[in-house]
Amino acid sequence: MTKKIKSENKKTRHSKKPSAVSYHLKCAKTANGLTHFVMYGDVPKKKMPL
Amino acid sequence: MNNNRVISFSDIDADWKLALDADNVFWGVVPKKVDGAFMMPDDLITLYQKEREHLDKELHDFRFNAELNCIYIDPTDKCNANCPYCYIPSRIRKKGTQMTGQELDAVLTKIAAHFKTSSKKPVIVFHAAEPLLVKGILFNAIDRFHKELLFGIQTNALLLEKEDVEFMKKRRMGVGISLDAPEADINNISRATTRGNGNFEKAVQAIDWFDGYEGLNVISTVTKFNVHRLSDHVRFLHKKKVPCVLLNPVRVTRIPALKLKPDQKVFAENLMDAVDTAMDLSIKSGRQIVVGNFSNVILAIISPSARRMMCDISPCGGGRTFLTITAGGEMVPCGEFIGSKEFSGGNIFDTTISKAMNSKPFKEIRSRTVEKIEECNTCDFRHICGSPCPAEMYARGNMYKKAEFCDFYKEIIRHAFKLIAEDKVKYLLRKDSLAYMQYEYQYK
Repeated sequence: MTKKIKSENKKTRHSKKPSAVSYHLKCAKTANGLTHFVMYGDVPKKKMPL
Repeated sequence: MNNNRVISFSDIDADWKLALDADNVFWGVVPKKVDGAFMMPDDLITLYQKEREHLDKELHDFRFNAELNCIYIDPTDKCNANCPYCYIPSRIRKKGTQMTGQELDAVLTKIAAHFKTSSKKPVIVFHAAEPLLVKGILFNAIDRFHKELLFGIQTNALLLEKEDVEFMKKRRMGVGISLDAPEADINNISRATTRGNGNFEKAVQAIDWFDGYEGLNVISTVTKFNVHRLSDHVRFLHKKKVPCVLLNPVRVTRIPALKLKPDQKVFAENLMDAVDTAMDLSIKSGRQIVVGNFSNVILAIISPSARRMMCDISPCGGGRTFLTITAGGEMVPCGEFIGSKEFSGGNIFDTTISKAMNSKPFKEIRSRTVEKIEECNTCDFRHICGSPCPAEMYARGNMYKKAEFCDFYKEIIRHAFKLIAEDKVKYLLRKDSLAYMQYEYQYK
């Protein structure tokens, strides 16, 4: 998945202005809890979104 | 669901037009021509029609079906600081209720039992007033419960010692250090101690001790005093290897805080500068710092259900995905309600978490949605900002009023769309986080 995103970013960078930009991502592995004010709970083991 | 709804169009800036379905945050940014005209591609409309139902469902589930997953515990009402914007009334901070070790143990046992069948461990955050005033009982409890629960702490660092830092790192705790500005004279105005000085020296020492620890966040409350220092604050913290800073608007839940409110336009300009500074520093140095509350806005657009901070969503996470337990055991939807007894869902020593979640005050907070708020109900950005915060607006006389920082949010959301259009997202989220995400669709 990382490779795919990287190659797409590269493509965007080197192309002319696109006719539109639109996408939607889904978090494949969420952290242990959606939290409030700060991202407590993001520490363990693996890095998480944000 | 309203099947007659349409995509609305608005300007992001001179270069980009935004197409948006406000009800499910389907978005497209379209380049403008020199004369300002733009062409909405037919296949973007086709994409919208294809994805609309699925986006409706995803957002609805996230707003109304997400489970409780975080509990804030205020183990003491006492505080060694005297921040002028504190949402805890001074009469409570002075009264000084605090939990005993046995009481904290009973609370954590009850929490662990409540989440016994959950697939994810809940996060327990020790929060206001100043939890390190009772650090002995906290650390003992963390040692006992660290296999069942995840822990975080928010502290002013005044009582933090080097061995505490080692303990927190060992237990992989999330840590928030309160620091409002990169210099003592400004910081200590708002982060004042009860002895009349401030926490600058101790907070900076703590940040040095954490030495780039990935669980460290610096929490800054933005007021009229520090609003012009946000970019310099980011520079200062980047040098100190801090990976994430939150530049949160001051909550005006209590009247003294209202006097500290920054001008919204000035705040938006300075926050956007701070975000640009963070991007530049991250790119040039290879060591990243993100402005967490702005990253949350980015996520609210590109992956709404992956967002992390539950203030900026409607209904907010209070009494829904998190709750607060006060030093006396009262369960309230959020710490911001600590001064309002009418919002207690019951005392944890007498009742259950499930009963509190089903209590009238908790339901009342969960029912406060942007659809019921005048102006928000027609705003394109209603599901990106969420119109925070109910406690703040309740204290101002009417929970169903639009966000205190409405204009600020509109500005930074437009800036977020601009940076997304310019393909800057990879610099705005924590490094590698995109590796945990998958495209559900992408316009090509």
